[in-house]
Amino acid sequence: MGRDTRRSRLVIVALLIVAFTLITLDYKTGRSATGARGVVHSALGGIEDGVTAVTRPIGRTASSLTHPNRYHNRADRLAQDNARLRRQIADDGQVTRMSKELSDLRLVADKGQYTIVPAKVIAVGDVTGTDWTVTINAGRDDGVVVDKTVLNADGLVGTVSSVTAHTAVVRLACDPGSRIGARLERTQLLGAVAGGQGPSTLTFTLYDASFRVQKGDRLVTFGSLDYVAGVPIGEITKVTDVGGLSRTAEVRPYAHVGTLDLVGVVVSKPPTDPGDRLLTPRPVPQPAPAATPAPALTPAVGTASAPASQNPAASPAVGAGPGGTG
Amino acid sequence: MWDILETEDSVQPRTVVAAIALLAVALVAQVSIVARMGLPGGRLDLVLVLLAAISLIEGPLVGAISGFVVGVLADLASSHVLGQSALIMCLIGYAVGLVMDAAQRSVAVPVAMIGGASLLGTLGYAAITSILGEAAMTGGEAVGHAFAAGVYAVLLTPFVFPPLLIASRRLAGGRARGGR
Repeated sequence: MGRDTRRSRLVIVALLIVAFTLITLDYKTGRSATGARGVVHSALGGIEDGVTAVTRPIGRTASSLTHPNRYHNRADRLAQDNARLRRQIADDGQVTRMSKELSDLRLVADKGQYTIVPAKVIAVGDVTGTDWTVTINAGRDDGVVVDKTVLNADGLVGTVSSVTAHTAVVRLACDPGSRIGARLERTQLLGAVAGGQGPSTLTFTLYDASFRVQKGDRLVTFGSLDYVAGVPIGEITKVTDVGGLSRTAEVRPYAHVGTLDLVGVVVSKPPTDPGDRLLTPRPVPQPAPAATPAPALTPAVGTASAPASQNPAASPAVGAGPGGTG
Repeated sequence: MWDILETEDSVQPRTVVAAIALLAVALVAQVSIVARMGLPGGRLDLVLVLLAAISLIEGPLVGAISGFVVGVLADLASSHVLGQSALIMCLIGYAVGLVMDAAQRSVAVPVAMIGGASLLGTLGYAAITSILGEAAMTGGEAVGHAFAAGVYAVLLTPFVFPPLLIASRRLAGGRARGGR
């Protein structure tokens, strides 16, 4: 086991060559290792699910177990009782929290008439910390399909990017490759929300330069064949660019990436476009600042012109789609 | 301490297997536990810390091989380009392993090396991700994350390095080894 021998140099050179080959192959072809990835995803997903199930109650009760007990005979038993009771309290808290999240999610789904599959986040990102994805514990067997919308009680989370039998990987809306068709509240004006600015900022591009986007405007998804319409995305915090053929603005998403826990995968669309129903009502009703007359929210508009406009995986499709709309 | 073995090929398969197994466990722990803790400033990179510690104890060859294998595994489990973290982990494992002698002289060396490895590794991930087309974070963010990873790694080192050293000696079994 040498330090820097000829042999170790040979090995590292060989490994580097293999690594570069892998990178080149995968970069060029894109889906060169789908099968292997699927196997690893499902294997690791099962483990992660187990780890999550085990570690969460433990983390909450670890403090109760480190109680020092000096009076061994009687205090031991009392300490055990104590620890057991504390664990029970912690479990109860966990159950209460979970049921609240579930009912919140249920409420959102009912408002939009979405059919959802609830799932828990079992892994965040990847090892390098450069992937904006989460892994959830629902998969193909639960009815989850690639490209479906994922939301939580606050709003849009992302879209499903790959599934195995019992787990799925969700590409978050803040991923640089993510692009989701968005609609301004109270209007039919169309744009796209893209990631790449970190976890708490999205970039909204409106495909109509004549319209003045304002700070405080809210966005919902536009909807298409796979994606559902009407899921709240976020609120515009800053209008950044007013030149060119489109306008861009910074958006603060409603869903926080850091605290994702229970999410729902929308597996079936509502019969009608929910419009702006899912946004929390504003305290003071203000008129829609529409420069172009906003047509009434008919379900037909939401779904008919959408198919080409919304595809987070392939960005060019978004640019091409809404050209006719704006 | 390794000098008597210098001449023969003596990367023990079981050392490599144990290293890979440990790193694979860390891989799951990283995404399922550490990533959810929401540490301020950045994230602790458990895999890089363990990889650097293993390389310091076992040398560049074990470091490079186990780093590469676990890197490929991590790439397969992710959605980015295959091979990119394998490349970084392989280089980190090798580079850290080169100073294994110095690590046995002073306590400061492992601490500094493991912290540095986490810092450089995190920067490396960010760099290679942006080279391959989809920058996950801006330059400033990447530097901030890297420093946070380095600091967390330094804090974790005292709890990780000594147990690994002991485990490594155990694993080597009856082989006579010098002190550190």
